[in-house]
Amino acid sequence: MKDPLVVLSSVVKRFGTFTAVHRLDLEIAQGEFIAIMGPSGCGKTTTLRMIAGLETPSEGEVRISGRLMNDVPVHERDTPMVWQSLALFPFLNARENVEFGLRMRGVDTVERRRRAMEWLERLEIGAFAERSVDTLSGGQRQRVALARSLVTEPRILLLDEPLSALDAHLVIRMQGVLTRLQRELGITFVHVTHSQSEALAMADRIVIMSEGRVVQIGRPREIYRTPGSRFVAEFVGRNNILSGVSRGDAIETALGTFPAAGLPAPGRPATLVIAADLVEISQAPRDGAIPCSLISEEFVGATVTLFLEAADGTELKVQVPERALGELNQQAGSRYHLSWPADAGHALTET
Amino acid sequence: MNRFALVFRLPIIVWQGLFFLGPLFFMIAMSFFLVKNYRMEEAFELKNWARMLTRGYVWDSYWYTLGMAGSATVVATLVAFPAAFALAFRVSAAVRRWVIFLLIIPFFTSYLVRTFSWYVILAESGVINTGLGTVGFGPYTMLNTPFGTVVGYLTLTLPLVVILQTVALANIDRNLVQAARNLGCSPPRTLVSVIVPLAKTGLIIAALFCFILSFGDFVAPYYLGGSKPPTLPILIIDTTKSGQQWPRAAVVAVMMMLTLFAIAATAIWLAYRRRSAS
Repeated sequence: MKDPLVVLSSVVKRFGTFTAVHRLDLEIAQGEFIAIMGPSGCGKTTTLRMIAGLETPSEGEVRISGRLMNDVPVHERDTPMVWQSLALFPFLNARENVEFGLRMRGVDTVERRRRAMEWLERLEIGAFAERSVDTLSGGQRQRVALARSLVTEPRILLLDEPLSALDAHLVIRMQGVLTRLQRELGITFVHVTHSQSEALAMADRIVIMSEGRVVQIGRPREIYRTPGSRFVAEFVGRNNILSGVSRGDAIETALGTFPAAGLPAPGRPATLVIAADLVEISQAPRDGAIPCSLISEEFVGATVTLFLEAADGTELKVQVPERALGELNQQAGSRYHLSWPADAGHALTET
Repeated sequence: MNRFALVFRLPIIVWQGLFFLGPLFFMIAMSFFLVKNYRMEEAFELKNWARMLTRGYVWDSYWYTLGMAGSATVVATLVAFPAAFALAFRVSAAVRRWVIFLLIIPFFTSYLVRTFSWYVILAESGVINTGLGTVGFGPYTMLNTPFGTVVGYLTLTLPLVVILQTVALANIDRNLVQAARNLGCSPPRTLVSVIVPLAKTGLIIAALFCFILSFGDFVAPYYLGGSKPPTLPILIIDTTKSGQQWPRAAVVAVMMMLTLFAIAATAIWLAYRRRSAS
């Protein structure tokens, strides 16, 4: 990577006997929007806090713009963070919250107020400048927190699940605000989240972490379509995961033998991943289709996920557009037939 | 309000009525009574008020008491803060619980006993002067001085102030402290710009308790301060003793109550005021 802004090399973080981050290597480019994603306790927030200096690595190096940061105190780094709780100061009004970082840098009152107002206007909350932060709505508070972090014109912004407390419709709007800001400012955003829709929608690259380790780094489509491991396949998207044995150019599973590329040597165990939205479902039997019975369905609006069971008990998932449901006339126990195109399967070398 | 709610509230209403409001109104009324031939007579005269409010020694005592209680409040607040800060931010929750328990222990023994124990330490031939004497200093007079009074006030109030400040500081949202550091605020500045404003309510309430207890205390200024000059509580005792002047003592008591009322109201207004004047 040319010109990385943040470099973490072999970073380890232990809390007592618990290791939160195991030998993490990560390079974040200048101007990149990166999302760090994983289940609770995977070390994503600890990683973010080490970039901010709120945690000191037990081993390894954190560098920002080439400078070794391990021993640089928090307040001497220019790594503002937007907190999950937002952490707005309740004893200051909206404008004074935004001014805080400038005040700490010794910017004079007039200049400070001008720049704070500029940012409040930019985020469309200029009218609330003199309001107590307690009286603002969730979305407005979010904008105050963003303005407060960006007013000092940092080269990097750290986001610690700031959208997790917002209503669903506000999340989408704030995603838009964040993406637009990041493009306009050209600065690096490091966004920690457990929400795959946030990560997929906003990030240039996604880092998937599990149990303190990076398990995959890639562009959103790569992560979504070509998960590198069973963990990622289970964590991102809706995937059918079939275990079996490699036959060279096909994999033999309990449900049948399916062609796939990238398999290990014949005879080795292998795993086939088929995204639920690539599976085709019909009531009529088709050649090579797997007969299943419907167990349940999950309706989330435009798409519906159907959960089915094959004769041997294997659970399979299918995502279909809601408008295509009419012809299926689905009822628990109904019989269906599933198949997928030969190129839909994605092989994993691990089991 | 249903009948049972009233029944449950009755004991406290009766208690407060009989032993707080009743005596309070009686005391206010008594400040207008007259004393003739060492006997108190019911009356409604302003003589006691006129006399007490025009006597220099009353006002000397008033300002002295206010000054001493104020000094004790400032000293207690400043002395307690580092300890409370350490308890809130530097030790584990388990240690904090233990120390708070230890801070409650002084209240198990009589305040009078604790006050007398200072004689051993502060006397001309006490622990401190003996210690200083061996390195060629002193002896210093510490008993029967304003210093002695403040030491006594602190004996009464310091553990309470430390506890109240610790609770106030320990309840601060740590994210706000970290957010301040993250925005470029150095640790000393975080203390002034973030921690003190966040703990403001608790810090003021702690100081208020210290002031109220010190202002009304009789023991410290009498035994450790030598009652020279007398504080208002000492003045009340002296006045009742000299010629059965209960009505004049009542005037002093009402003055004290009005003062405390004004100070408490101001302190609470400051403590809960939302916006800082920045």
